[in-house]
Amino acid sequence: MNKFIWIFLLFVAMVAQSAMARPLRVVASYPYIGDLVEKIGGRNVHVVSLARGDYNPHVIIPRPSFIARVRNADLLVISGAQLEIGWMPPILRQANNPSVQPGEKGFLDLSRYVTLIDVPASVSREQGDIHPEGNPHFYLDPYNIPLLAKAITEKLCEIDPSDASYYRSNLDEFVRQWNEKLKEWKEKMRPLERVAVVEYHKIYDYFLRRFGLPIVGTVEPLPGIPPTSKHIEHLESILESHRAQFILQDVYNPDDASRHLANKLGMKLIVLPHDVGAVRGVDDIFSLFDEIVRRLTQ
Amino acid sequence: MTDILLSTFLLSVVLLGMHSFYGIEVIKRGIIFTDLAIGQMAAVGAAISILFFDGEYLFPLSLVFALFGGSLIAFASKRANSHEAFIGLVYAFGLSGVFILLSKSYHGMETFQKLMASDILFTPLEEILKTAVIYAVLGLFLLLVYGKTAGVVRDFIFFVTFALTVTISVRLAGVLVVFALLVGPALIALKVQKGIPLINAWIIGVIINLVSIIVSYNFDFPTGYTLVFFHALLALGVSVAPVGRSKEIRPGT
Repeated sequence: MNKFIWIFLLFVAMVAQSAMARPLRVVASYPYIGDLVEKIGGRNVHVVSLARGDYNPHVIIPRPSFIARVRNADLLVISGAQLEIGWMPPILRQANNPSVQPGEKGFLDLSRYVTLIDVPASVSREQGDIHPEGNPHFYLDPYNIPLLAKAITEKLCEIDPSDASYYRSNLDEFVRQWNEKLKEWKEKMRPLERVAVVEYHKIYDYFLRRFGLPIVGTVEPLPGIPPTSKHIEHLESILESHRAQFILQDVYNPDDASRHLANKLGMKLIVLPHDVGAVRGVDDIFSLFDEIVRRLTQ
Repeated sequence: MTDILLSTFLLSVVLLGMHSFYGIEVIKRGIIFTDLAIGQMAAVGAAISILFFDGEYLFPLSLVFALFGGSLIAFASKRANSHEAFIGLVYAFGLSGVFILLSKSYHGMETFQKLMASDILFTPLEEILKTAVIYAVLGLFLLLVYGKTAGVVRDFIFFVTFALTVTISVRLAGVLVVFALLVGPALIALKVQKGIPLINAWIIGVIINLVSIIVSYNFDFPTGYTLVFFHALLALGVSVAPVGRSKEIRPGT
């Protein structure tokens, strides 16, 4: 009889073992987050990113699999600061997965781990829930990336403490490589310090601030509002007294207004990737910044 | 996932039930784009709610503007000869109005998209059931009253209830899905030789909805667009086919 109990216990142990070995199912809102989670989680995670890197991050068209993936997720990592406000809330509601709701263990909002810029000094009550938390494109400052990697590491350790040392050693290795890269990017960006630029959308602010490139203006009159003739006229008059060298354009907005300005005022139009997968060759977080720096400095 | 797909299917059937009736009517009257024009006027109401009331009173304001658009078209369909042009202009007026209003609102466009990005996958079951009850009551009312009226009263009932349903449906499923469900099955049903067009539209519509939702799930296509695609594809195919009682689908009856 004892033998059977032992066999049974062995069987239970094997089932438990295989359950433990199942990779954590992680859903990331954007590809840059998915890449970071893969770099830290390695063999222990199975990651899917919902949005595509070459689309406007503010808007996505939902597909049935988005709901299924969030429903089965152990961890949901979002960028936050209202970047997903237009599409994530209904997916979260329909997925009906209590463990990845905001505030739960299986939910991580990366914007909490960095300092946001352009936060309005005071938010009046009349604005209701539409008040902006600040510029949400914080991940385009390469100095913020290690902070985000650390936040992801801590979260993975919290959910799966048995492999904490594995995640921490992955983080150490990632940060070491990243610091090497930071030196390289800083060196390459040095000649561009104090070179004035115009952006289409306020998306590269964190990057430009970090490397000391002043922003003269934006082609959009307000975030998300297409350029108007009066605004372009106003921008042209500013550019007459404040020369800018580049116009920075993302990959998803129409570039006709930027092209017009660039041709008229003799500026260089540079299209920059904003996420992993935005342009060919940008397939992880390292190559994202490599490509941004390359396009600015060539 | 079955629960989500089932409620999506249920919603598509509820919308179909109501809109097939209007679809057959708008095709007969030759005022097909009334739906898009009214939907766009409802969006003007939503934009005003965002700009001046921070998103409060969204539904009542949308409804007021939809009713206004509906009455304009009701009026014009009696007066003007070129009422299709008139309907097109109501649409253009609404669309440009939304952009002008929101150009003065910080983050307005994002908020507008958030409120308007109604996807058929995202409608909670309670909303679907509520709408089913409203449409059942409205359908019963139309069944009992509409056929017995004529002239101005008939037009008034038609445009007011149409504006109401467009406002409700667009909020749940988006402009394009509502348009496809409105005219797709109705156009096919009017081509069928036998039976009552409304019943035919229901049967055809339910089959197309079911196929679209299964295809959308299996191939992971956006569900709303898949529905629109199949409704449009079938209606186009049937319309090109050289059979049917197309004589009855003349405008102006």
